[in-house]
Amino acid sequence: MNSVVGGGLFLLLLVLIPFAMGKFHVNLLTEVIIFALYGVSYNLLLGYGNLLSFGHAMFFGFGAYTTAVALNHISGLGFFPAVFLGTAGATLVGFLLGCLLLRQKGASYALLTLAFNALFYAMAIKFTFITRGDDGLGVTRPRIDLGLFTLNTSDVVVFYFVTLAVVGAAILLSWFFTKTAMGRTVVLMRENEDRMKFLGFSTRVTRLILFTVTGGLAGLAGSFYALFFSFVSVDAISIAMTTTVLLITFVGGSGSFTGPILGALVYIYLQNFLSDVTDRWQLFMGLIFILMVLFVPGGLSKLVEDALARWRALWEPKSNTAAR
Amino acid sequence: MKSTLIFFLHGLTYAGLLFLVSSGLTLVFGMMNVLNFAHATFYMLGAYISWTLLRTTNNFWLSLAVAPAFLFCIGALVERFLLRRVHVLGHVHELLLTFGLAYVLSELVKWIWGTHPLAVPITGFLAQSVDLFGITYPVYRLFVFSAAILVGVLMALVLYKTRVGIIIRGAVDDSDIVGALGINVPVLFMAIFGFGAALSGFAGVIAGPLLTTFPGMGDAILVDAFVVIVVGGLGSLGGAVIASFIIGELQSFGVLLIPKFSLALIYLLMAVVLVARPSGLFGRQST
Repeated sequence: MNSVVGGGLFLLLLVLIPFAMGKFHVNLLTEVIIFALYGVSYNLLLGYGNLLSFGHAMFFGFGAYTTAVALNHISGLGFFPAVFLGTAGATLVGFLLGCLLLRQKGASYALLTLAFNALFYAMAIKFTFITRGDDGLGVTRPRIDLGLFTLNTSDVVVFYFVTLAVVGAAILLSWFFTKTAMGRTVVLMRENEDRMKFLGFSTRVTRLILFTVTGGLAGLAGSFYALFFSFVSVDAISIAMTTTVLLITFVGGSGSFTGPILGALVYIYLQNFLSDVTDRWQLFMGLIFILMVLFVPGGLSKLVEDALARWRALWEPKSNTAAR
Repeated sequence: MKSTLIFFLHGLTYAGLLFLVSSGLTLVFGMMNVLNFAHATFYMLGAYISWTLLRTTNNFWLSLAVAPAFLFCIGALVERFLLRRVHVLGHVHELLLTFGLAYVLSELVKWIWGTHPLAVPITGFLAQSVDLFGITYPVYRLFVFSAAILVGVLMALVLYKTRVGIIIRGAVDDSDIVGALGINVPVLFMAIFGFGAALSGFAGVIAGPLLTTFPGMGDAILVDAFVVIVVGGLGSLGGAVIASFIIGELQSFGVLLIPKFSLALIYLLMAVVLVARPSGLFGRQST
């Protein structure tokens, strides 16, 4: 019950923010929400499924490119159909690659995901007639026609609410997914794969479904990324974009569902701050990442959890004696 | 016919480079079970360090000796102070650490040497060309290939004919038992990791004049080296030799025959091997 109240208050805060803060922060928060979904989708794979992938950007980039290309070539394409195409495309890629890559395990699987990400990146550079290579593709956000009125999505605040509604819903759905029977088999697979097999579950099917779903979610995030920047370049599908999601997940913490959301908030604001101060912000990001892996393997959310637990432990003995 | 020979020799040159990079990678993996994502960054570092050395001393042979020695130290330090710390946390953290390291090192390279491609001039007899079976071929490319063969033969001799080789092969099979026999396994790991980095740096030094030295050169060869060890089988030196040859020739003739899709050929080969023989041509089936 407590978590429902907390979640409701959090949502209320998110809805109220545009009325309290300037456009600059609303814009940054939109980016945070998009990258939060990207991080959450990655964490479903890594934190819940224990599948370490170095190629998550291929789904993100594929979603971004599909949306951008569709909007450029299909005249009169609506906002949601464009987003749907991006998501569906990435889901399909997730399924096909899952069939091929999941035959491998551990280091070999990790290596293959990176190799395939490199393939997608090379294709984005080579197929200039689709992607325009390094120049990138411009995207104009279509208006959303709701019958009674139309939403002008080029407005910062309107786009924030659209993102909050759609991407936020996807994050909530991911959370529900972890609570379903299907989501629980994923955790079971991580904890004890042999036992899962003895119980009659197919680990291959579970892995493939997880891989496909996370691919689709990353594609949705990528699709909004294209709409957010009104532009897609090869950056969206590069290894650096995979590094970004690793950073978000590990700074936030892969041990909990909310970790990557916290990670996205910290990452976007930190990146914004560092790129103001120094041209070499990527170097500092990398150093932070290595320090996190070395000294705080649980991420920030683990630190917060520990602090909360210590806080509670501080109060618990007193309340116990009072009850007696 | 002549152009076929030229492309065949080009393929051999690239295969030589690939072997130098992937053999270190596969040896470290076979022994420590660590897939080093920063391996190709060591290759890039080797090329950049040799560029600086060449500018100051103008002696290619010196840089060929100093740059790998320098990388040996870097590799050993990375193993001792970074990898060993996260070893207890498990496999995922080791991979993440090397991935983060690759990122930081390549950013450092961009900072120190800039992002512009640097040309490394070849001097002396290496810059000349020779007549070979009716074609004129640059000596340097032949040198790259022979250096790879030399290193390969030396590695095979050390691995299969010396006491150190027996210990290393033993540690590949079961490092715990080797440790129980009184061998200092941590120091061995440190040395092997350093040796892998040095090999990669050596490849970088000789790649410098051949391909241009630029920040993306590591990523370019890393993927090909990955394909080599997937096709050859993780941890297999013999597999690395055969796969380097196949990938090198495929790359070379791919550019000749289907220039737009030469990359696809390599991935196609990898996909076929993955489906038909998931552990690679020479890999152990159990892993």
